Amino acid sequence: MSDKRTFTCIVCPNGCTIETVFDGDKILEINGQQCKRGEEYVRQELTDPRRTIASSVPISGATLPLCSVRLTKAIPKREIFNVMREINKVRLAAPVSIGHVVIQDVCGLGSDVIVTKNLPKATEA
Amino acid sequence: MERRDVVIIGGGPAGLAAAVELKKRNIADVLIIEREKQLGGILRQCIHDGFGLTRFGESFSGPEYSQRFIDEAAALGIDAMTNATVIDLSPDKVVTVAAQDGLKRIQANAVILAMGCRERTRGALAIPGSRPSGIYTAGVAQSYMNLYNTMVGKEIVIMGSGDIGLIMARRFTLEGAHVKAVFEVLPYPSGLPRNIEQCLNDYDIPLYLSHSVINIVGDKRIEGVEVAQVDARMNPISGTNRYFPCDTLILSVGLIPENELSLAAGVELDVRTKGAFVDESHQTSVPGVFAAGNVLHVHDLVDFVSLEAESLAESAAQFIREGELPACGIALTPSPEIGHIIPQKISGTRDFQLSLRVRKPVGKCKIVVRQGEREIKSVSLPKAIPAEMIQFAVSCEKISSGEPIEVSVYER
Amino acid sequence: MDGVFDVAIIGGGVIGSAVARELSRYQLRICVLEKELDVCNGVSGRNTGLLHSGILNEEGLLRTECCKEGNAEFEQVARELDVPFRRCGKLIVSFGEEERIRLEGLYRRGLKNGIPGIRMIGHDEIKEIEPNADGDFAIFIPSAGILCPFTYTIALAENAAMNGVTYYFNEEVTGIARAGDGMFAIHATSGTFVSRWAINCSGLSSYQISPMLGFDSYKPKRVKGQYEILDKKAGAYLSLPIYPTPNEYGAFDVHVTPTIEGNVLVGPTIENIGTELDYSATQEMINTLGCSGEKLFAQVKRDYYIRNYVGIFPTAEDPLTHAELDFQIQTKPSVPHAVNLVGINSPGLTSALPIARRVVAKVKEQELLIVNKTFNPVRKGIVRFSSLEREEQDRLIRQNPDYGEIYCRCECVTKAEIKQAIHNVLGVCTISGIKYRTRASMGRCQGGYCETRLTAMLQDELRLDKTDILLNKKGAYMFTGKVK
Repeated sequence: MSDKRTFTCIVCPNGCTIETVFDGDKILEINGQQCKRGEEYVRQELTDPRRTIASSVPISGATLPLCSVRLTKAIPKREIFNVMREINKVRLAAPVSIGHVVIQDVCGLGSDVIVTKNLPKATEA
Repeated sequence: MERRDVVIIGGGPAGLAAAVELKKRNIADVLIIEREKQLGGILRQCIHDGFGLTRFGESFSGPEYSQRFIDEAAALGIDAMTNATVIDLSPDKVVTVAAQDGLKRIQANAVILAMGCRERTRGALAIPGSRPSGIYTAGVAQSYMNLYNTMVGKEIVIMGSGDIGLIMARRFTLEGAHVKAVFEVLPYPSGLPRNIEQCLNDYDIPLYLSHSVINIVGDKRIEGVEVAQVDARMNPISGTNRYFPCDTLILSVGLIPENELSLAAGVELDVRTKGAFVDESHQTSVPGVFAAGNVLHVHDLVDFVSLEAESLAESAAQFIREGELPACGIALTPSPEIGHIIPQKISGTRDFQLSLRVRKPVGKCKIVVRQGEREIKSVSLPKAIPAEMIQFAVSCEKISSGEPIEVSVYER
Repeated sequence: MDGVFDVAIIGGGVIGSAVARELSRYQLRICVLEKELDVCNGVSGRNTGLLHSGILNEEGLLRTECCKEGNAEFEQVARELDVPFRRCGKLIVSFGEEERIRLEGLYRRGLKNGIPGIRMIGHDEIKEIEPNADGDFAIFIPSAGILCPFTYTIALAENAAMNGVTYYFNEEVTGIARAGDGMFAIHATSGTFVSRWAINCSGLSSYQISPMLGFDSYKPKRVKGQYEILDKKAGAYLSLPIYPTPNEYGAFDVHVTPTIEGNVLVGPTIENIGTELDYSATQEMINTLGCSGEKLFAQVKRDYYIRNYVGIFPTAEDPLTHAELDFQIQTKPSVPHAVNLVGINSPGLTSALPIARRVVAKVKEQELLIVNKTFNPVRKGIVRFSSLEREEQDRLIRQNPDYGEIYCRCECVTKAEIKQAIHNVLGVCTISGIKYRTRASMGRCQGGYCETRLTAMLQDELRLDKTDILLNKKGAYMFTGKVK
């Protein structure tokens, strides 16, 4: 029993269209990827699709009201909104700089939420 | 009057990359002029990741990507004037800047245009209907959301499938708004395939191709849009009208290089790119005025913007040292299937980077660069789509002087 | 509202504001009741911005008389009120024999009306006057000019306010009663205004206010006109308005007009509509503007489109003949202390002050007015940074660093100008209010660069919540709240 599916690889901007024939999580045929990361992507999508997300959190004392954040590693797709709920609880105070960990190991998924913008205190800016 | 070797107009990714590279080539006197209070340009509001895969082999958010260049510029001691707006550029390269401490006039030896682009508006498209509040271009909505902590609406319809619109569809969804649909007038998406996948498909946001907003409804705040399917000539097909209630309409319908200052300086523009005509050095029709990034032609990836800006540094440095660059007498023209090319002319004595976009999606194809009967270069691609810029290096070895060069695409 | 007024003016358009300004020359307590959140949101803000000569109207009409009077005095008015204006002249062009005959008819009317300096000219002279115009023949009308209707209406209103007039916004008049002592009790959105006099200057609403005041009701006939605004890049090719010859019904089809700011207006189209106020642009008319505009002016190109808008012109018709009525400035013995203005459409902008003086005369017929000795006819507008010489710009920045921050890049509007606009004397606090006072966001990017700054500044300066910020009217909220 095999299935056919077309994937759009999101690993790099090439966005390869990858045609696959698979049986469960086993790839039987694969075509269209320009590099081997494409095949890895398809394998991951079949077993455990993962994504990274970016958002922002309120910050006090900075020149901007919000500080941007992102995940350090992709998380299972189904966990996106659970992670968003955790991100929504965070409040920051200036100064912060890029890489500052806001939530370690968010939802126990092995990925951290980190700051992606340098925001000094408003008076220092 | 203050004098500078190089004045760079715009402290976004193009301006920063050019500045750093010039400094590395021992051009000491470089000044960046940036109208915002901080450097970084549009990347300040692009908080999603995916930047830097080509340039750094790593994926960053926009602010992180630009910070790398800002830090490097700072480490090299590059001067930057922020919160300062260039209000005029003369053909003899006098830059007039409005800043809080006065109006300054700076005589530059060389000027690098790095002003980026602006978004096409509702007015430019002349979308029929009323004029309520709640209609935003995608970039403006992104700025409100990511820089001002302002939510522009809750029930969203997006017109146009440009990359910023797709990115915003995901942003809205993550922050609790409901994105009802994306409508694209063309039969194919304008944004990158990976953004269709990870911004729309991941969140079950429908994309309607060959559909257009034909009427905007609402006297005060927008109440909804009327949408119709369009035919091959983009005319609405009668009987296909549907009404979508919404409180917000986001437009992601194209970017236009911002060349008002270029025009003031007498720089000639290409109607295809809406940016300057440039040679292989990215020098415009005004000697000593160079252009890179989205002010020259709209890019899909910031990595290419940085690379393009870096590549002009060598020639700009040569111009500053020698006062002129090799004449570029060989014209490059795209075939009708190709939307535009950069550069539009070359000297034939140096290798160069060719950038182009196809007009319509094609499958397996070959891009051929030809001078007369002679093939200079050919590149085979698994596909080519308008959303993606195609770039490759061309060697000058087989190029002879004089005769124009044509760039064509052949589907196989 | 605060106490009792001598005069209540219903409607804060160019007519209401001109009447307010002219009445403020006398010792009177005056209020203006405006249903929108700013002046100039109805007919006054949705027209061609033309200083008409008076050639288009029949001899002997009040509108012709007012128009000629308003035209002749506008240099002085513009100087007093600090309103940019240019007497650029106008061309009405004709192609072919049939049009030439109609054009000659118009020319004869112009002579009869005593329009100064008009000339019939041929193709060569057309090209001399404006190389981008075309035609076999044309009437050249040197006295016609262009002005910004927003600036002018705001200037009149601000000058009135300076001289003691109080503007009330968001006050829609819903009923008018007359007390035993003869005072008007004017019921509006927030309550009742009591006044000895009531003057109906409500434009499109005049037909509803008339019977409330005790005047005859009439059936409104409305004409909808759609316009396209072109980039200043197109404006560089047009020095004066170009009109086609009137069509066989005497109406002008789509024409092209430069604005005082350097853009080009294409339009209006002409559609007869019922009583419904429908400001929607339609695809059909967008197409018409493109096709007809292009014939008059080659720069009518899609690349230059900035925005479109719709104007609706109030007309009143004679119930018997169905002919369009002249401007009506009515008083009625059975309704003392009331003036009713009806059918004020084109050339209302040009005629505003002459109309206002006639209203004052009507008031004087019923009571003695005492001169307000402190009246000052001079009003200064916000200094436009972009219009100054470089040295002057530098001087301003050194006085106030806010002039060194360019908030609107397309129109080169500074933070200092925006701040002054936010703190305008009328107390208007909408985004479009800032726009009309400074031109911020009126350029080719349509606020793509400055709108975030305008809203943030409005929020900070007036301590508003995000959800309180309005585009132009009640309910036209900009934001739903914070992200986080």
